[in-house]
Amino acid sequence: MSVELIWSLITGAALFGVGIYGALSQTNLVMIMMGVELILAGALLNMVAFFRYLHPDVAAGQMFVLIIMTVMALEMAVGFGVAIARFRYKGSVEMEEAAELKD
Amino acid sequence: MITAQAIFIGFFGIAAVWFGVVVFRTFSMVRSAIALLFSQTALGAMFLTMEVEFLGVLQIMMMATEMSIMAIFMVMFMMDPGGMGEMDMTHQKQFSLTAGFISFVGAVAVAVFIDWGPVSTVAVDSVEQTKALGFELLDRSMLIFEMAGITILTAMIAATAVAIKPASKTSQPKSSSTAHGDHQHKEQSK
Repeated sequence: MSVELIWSLITGAALFGVGIYGALSQTNLVMIMMGVELILAGALLNMVAFFRYLHPDVAAGQMFVLIIMTVMALEMAVGFGVAIARFRYKGSVEMEEAAELKD
Repeated sequence: MITAQAIFIGFFGIAAVWFGVVVFRTFSMVRSAIALLFSQTALGAMFLTMEVEFLGVLQIMMMATEMSIMAIFMVMFMMDPGGMGEMDMTHQKQFSLTAGFISFVGAVAVAVFIDWGPVSTVAVDSVEQTKALGFELLDRSMLIFEMAGITILTAMIAATAVAIKPASKTSQPKSSSTAHGDHQHKEQSK
């Protein structure tokens, strides 16, 4: 088995794990978004590694990478829109102060 | 067999993970955003090492812009953006650590124990890769590509609409003090 592929997948797994930790442990909305960015970065790396080492002749692999990048950009746009609205009404983007959103 | 490519992939991979950890370890929000930028750039360098050049350059360019914007927003929204007060902004740490570790171990187990089949050691020429992606985007995957574009546009409009301050329905009456102040100002200017 290819060392390069395994290295890439392990790095992707580590980024995914760090991202999960960040998204679950942080109380600030922007920091939670950073965790989600790392999770998506792990997925991105896996997709590139699969394209490069397993199916280099199938261009659809690159297409999936572009879709993940689009999701990253969307997450940023929507997240910051929500953050601005929240900050305008409550003066804070701390998620521990947002328990009323559950109601 | 360990090749130069494997060594560089390992190096940039460790850098990406290390900077990813630094994001949640520093108290300064600016450092946090810059660490995430370095992590994503190391990922782009990994792509370049893998000879996937178009996606590598795209990753670096896109993330540099995205993280710069994120740094600005973080400074705006945080109570202590410089981290001088060393405020702890975490909760359920033990649970998060466990969840992160289990995710990591699970993903590594899948990566190591699955037989991925034959591996291609020779990369397709970068010009051919980009050309194939171009044909893919404007041929078979055109609908997906167009949908992605429209989704981004919709999200941008929706995010702006959510963020705009709603105008108040009733106009505020001019207070007497303000009118008095205006009058004084006019007199002074005369």
